[in-house]
Amino acid sequence: MTTTAPAPGTVDRPRTLPRRLVGRVAVAAGQLVAVSVIVFALTAALPGDTAEVVLGQQATPEQVAALRAQLGLDRPVLLRFADWVGGVLTGDPGRSLVTGVPVADELAGRLASTASVAGLALLVIVPVALAAGVTAGRRPGSVTDRVITAVATAGQAIPEFASGLVLVAVFAVTLGWLPATAGGGSFTGPAVLVLPVVVLALNQVGRLARQIRIGVVETERAEYVVHLRRLGMGERTLLLRHVLPGALPPTVQQLARVVDGLLGGVVVVEALFALPGVGAGFVEAVQGRDLPLVQGYALLFATTTVVVNLLADLVSDRLAPHREALR
Amino acid sequence: MTGPVLSVRSLAARAGDAELVAGVDLDLHTGGVLAVVGPSGSGKSTLGLALLGEAAPGVALTGSVRVGGTELVGTAGRGRVGHLPQHPGAVLDPLRRVGAVLDEMAAVVHGADRAARSEAVGAALRAAQLPTGELSRRFPHQLSGGQQQRMALALALVTGPDVVVLDEPTTGLDADTTRALVESLAGLAESGVALVLLTHDHDVARALAHEALAVRGGQVDAQGPAAEVLDALAAPTVAEPGPETDHPRLRAQGLTVVTADGRAILDGVDLDAAAGAAVAVVGPSGAGKTTLARALAGLAVPRSGTVEVDGTVLRPDALDRTHDGRRAVQYVHQDPRATFAPRRAVLEQVARPAVRLRGLGSEAARAEAVAVLGTLGVDETTARRRPRALSGGQLQRTAVARALLARPDVIVADEATSALDADHQAGLVEVFDQVRRAHGTALVLVSHDLELVGQVAGTTVVLAAGRVVDRGPTGEVLERTAPRVAPR
Amino acid sequence: MTRRPDATLVVGSLLAGIPLLAALVGPLVAPQTPPGTTPLLPPGTEGTVLGTDVYGRDVLGLALTGGLSVVGLTVGALALAYAVGTPLGLLLAATRRRWLDTAGLRLVDVALVLPPLLVLLVLAATGRRGVLWLIVGAAFVQLPALVRLVRSAARAPGRLAVQEAQIQAGEPWWRSHLLEPARAAVGALAVDAGTRVVLVVTVLTSANFLGAGLEPTSPDWGVVIQQNGDSLFLAPETLVVPAVLVVALCAGTNLLTDRLLDRREYV
Repeated sequence: MTTTAPAPGTVDRPRTLPRRLVGRVAVAAGQLVAVSVIVFALTAALPGDTAEVVLGQQATPEQVAALRAQLGLDRPVLLRFADWVGGVLTGDPGRSLVTGVPVADELAGRLASTASVAGLALLVIVPVALAAGVTAGRRPGSVTDRVITAVATAGQAIPEFASGLVLVAVFAVTLGWLPATAGGGSFTGPAVLVLPVVVLALNQVGRLARQIRIGVVETERAEYVVHLRRLGMGERTLLLRHVLPGALPPTVQQLARVVDGLLGGVVVVEALFALPGVGAGFVEAVQGRDLPLVQGYALLFATTTVVVNLLADLVSDRLAPHREALR
Repeated sequence: MTGPVLSVRSLAARAGDAELVAGVDLDLHTGGVLAVVGPSGSGKSTLGLALLGEAAPGVALTGSVRVGGTELVGTAGRGRVGHLPQHPGAVLDPLRRVGAVLDEMAAVVHGADRAARSEAVGAALRAAQLPTGELSRRFPHQLSGGQQQRMALALALVTGPDVVVLDEPTTGLDADTTRALVESLAGLAESGVALVLLTHDHDVARALAHEALAVRGGQVDAQGPAAEVLDALAAPTVAEPGPETDHPRLRAQGLTVVTADGRAILDGVDLDAAAGAAVAVVGPSGAGKTTLARALAGLAVPRSGTVEVDGTVLRPDALDRTHDGRRAVQYVHQDPRATFAPRRAVLEQVARPAVRLRGLGSEAARAEAVAVLGTLGVDETTARRRPRALSGGQLQRTAVARALLARPDVIVADEATSALDADHQAGLVEVFDQVRRAHGTALVLVSHDLELVGQVAGTTVVLAAGRVVDRGPTGEVLERTAPRVAPR
Repeated sequence: MTRRPDATLVVGSLLAGIPLLAALVGPLVAPQTPPGTTPLLPPGTEGTVLGTDVYGRDVLGLALTGGLSVVGLTVGALALAYAVGTPLGLLLAATRRRWLDTAGLRLVDVALVLPPLLVLLVLAATGRRGVLWLIVGAAFVQLPALVRLVRSAARAPGRLAVQEAQIQAGEPWWRSHLLEPARAAVGALAVDAGTRVVLVVTVLTSANFLGAGLEPTSPDWGVVIQQNGDSLFLAPETLVVPAVLVVALCAGTNLLTDRLLDRREYV
């Protein structure tokens, strides 16, 4: 079956794009609603009593009663959910059970550290992955390709805590070149960030590089690239104007996965290197069973995922006007 | 220049032991037009690529192709010969505006000279009969099929090649667009570009070519002045119609099939077949032939219209049909290999319809399957293998056997002979004849093999763009429409 | 194409083989220290090869016993994920009601926006810990990808023709729409399992490393690293040995799967 192209004028971007955009944003909004329901259901609608779960087995009835009052647990679940959502929307999703600090302040105070680690990691990941992916993809099956693919494959697979520990053992403990942790939580110079950024990048570079490689390999095989080469177009123009743009839309999608991966990695890496970011805060909240904080962090992470994937879909849709990149 | 712009000597293409193209010699002078004609699979496209000095992976070229004195075989002769491929839509970068790509192509010759580039682009667009301006800012998917094709032509012309190879340039174009394209190609030749036209369309070849080369099975059949070569090629013959009766067996009315995005692929098609009759459905690719065939079997669900067999209206969706409804119409798929589950013996799969639809015991069904397969030239040992072990031709006959085991009232065969050699094709036609006589089965034959259609079908229906554009006794219909619906 | 041994394959097998062997055979031969052994003994003292950890347990013994939970949890989570995801994907592919298909996908996609580790951490924060919850959580986050995979394998254009032939042959719905697609999806699922195993190992060991998984006394590689976190400079081998085993297991498995896939599809 040949696909017949529409008659000129029947398909115009300006008419269809906004509709798809609205649709995609609506999906994202639905996901946010679903996520907040799940987070609340997991953290607030517990089997048994939340207060008992938080305080543990040894708590006295008085302690439990006090916490129940503080959390407003006597009220119906739906009302508590409405309160919580209202609080989230007005920027006040409750207070920490342990420190009493407002959840919003706790989160805000930790964002800068995480943003700088993740941002630095991205600055390393993107150019390295681009160089490696294009080099490997232009000569599929060559020795260079095999080495790059093998390293990317292995690196992508290793959990951050394990690679982090090995790197710390080598560069901090044995060689003493770099600090093993950020110490007591104070931010002490750029050296502290080297190992965390390397660990994060190690895991994600491979993922992105392999997608770029596949994109390049597939676009190189596309009939239009073969044809333009046949007609005599120069290799440089071909690579920059045709092969790379062809590999880009799936790469943008993969970049969203990379950011998702960084979010997971940051939790582990911050815990490992004692960085004062949201990841470490999340782990602390989990260990302290500080439920309002756990809710806040969970919502923050899930929202970031939703937004990042929304952006990726919109961008790759823009880059590939001929096909629906939107799911 | 006095010598030929394109000079080919004993050009051959081999894939392993198989000779795809053998011993081609030809000379083409400035402004000359050579038509290469022949049925599909005759080696036209391989020859076309070979003229660019290219070959598909695993194919080796020998001999010589010289353009303006440069040898192309065995060297990277990129850009010496322009090329318009068979599916022009696929060679336009879907992510880039077409004008920008034309400009990049012009830069191959004119470098950074912006004025020269824009002049070359303008000239190429004019030669391809495309307007300059707004059209160049579109993406390929915003162009119509005809515009895509002319844009691909402009892309081939923008570097100013001396020779352009065009592969089936009129496939899928309607009459008006074809006429316009022929005009622009004639103008191109007048301006001094030599053209090599690979085509099955004799009318187009007559209109444009000075010389012609007929290929068949990779061998040069005839070569010389276009009119002589084309006249010598025989027209399809029409044989006696088969056993036809007056009993109306299949009656399909107003079949309309619509895609998810609301485009009608089939638009109010009627199709009748008497018991024992053979009706052919022909038309260009994309006309809706396969969709019609599938709608009869309930595999494509029509939005409106009915399918009636022996007076009983069948449900539109095969899944909703009763066992007897499913038995009534059997469809033989275009690509038979895809229809066999890969991990079970072919024989078991052929026997199933008899078990499920006719209530035969599995032993009896298997015995009948062996018998039917035998008449189609597939022996039992072969049939006990998995589909992977069978050739395309064997599977095609096996698929027909499976449909016959349902003992259908109507059998719908979609290009059922495309992978068969002459002997097996004759055998299949005979088996069809037999069931038509013995059981009054009506045959609906979807094919672009007009020779076969002429031999088998009493009635022929011509589809174009989802509608019936002609119908009647096969001989008359083929006379009227052969040039338009000839083989791919 | 030369026929010499494939370097990636050899390296992959070695990397994955050693930790796997340790996990499966190790528990039978693992040395143990008697209760009350001094914690943090240096390697080579008091009959130990690699010394003891903060609880006075033999480090080599921990390395040899701690893999069983890693492998066991992974197998359990994968089995659960496939047991739930496969029928779900088949049903979505089989239905003729488009709204049902869309709704089903949207539903499993909710799991897509929950980072895997987050699910396990939230479960732990609310007292849902231990083997069962680890398996459920790790399986849950695999569902969106799995359901989509099964659905598209069952719906692949090639499959459609087989399905149509079966409809025409009068086969019942469950055979043409569930059984046959399930058979067809087996290959894709096997390939997927190879890549998914690493994702599952990662999320499970990471959760254990963050103290959101098994009991603190478990010899699990992730838990041991977490419990010994403070003795990095005192006794690095207690952390480095299990970490290296996890690194080798993940890197090796991924190399192996990738290479085997590559052989089937490309080059």
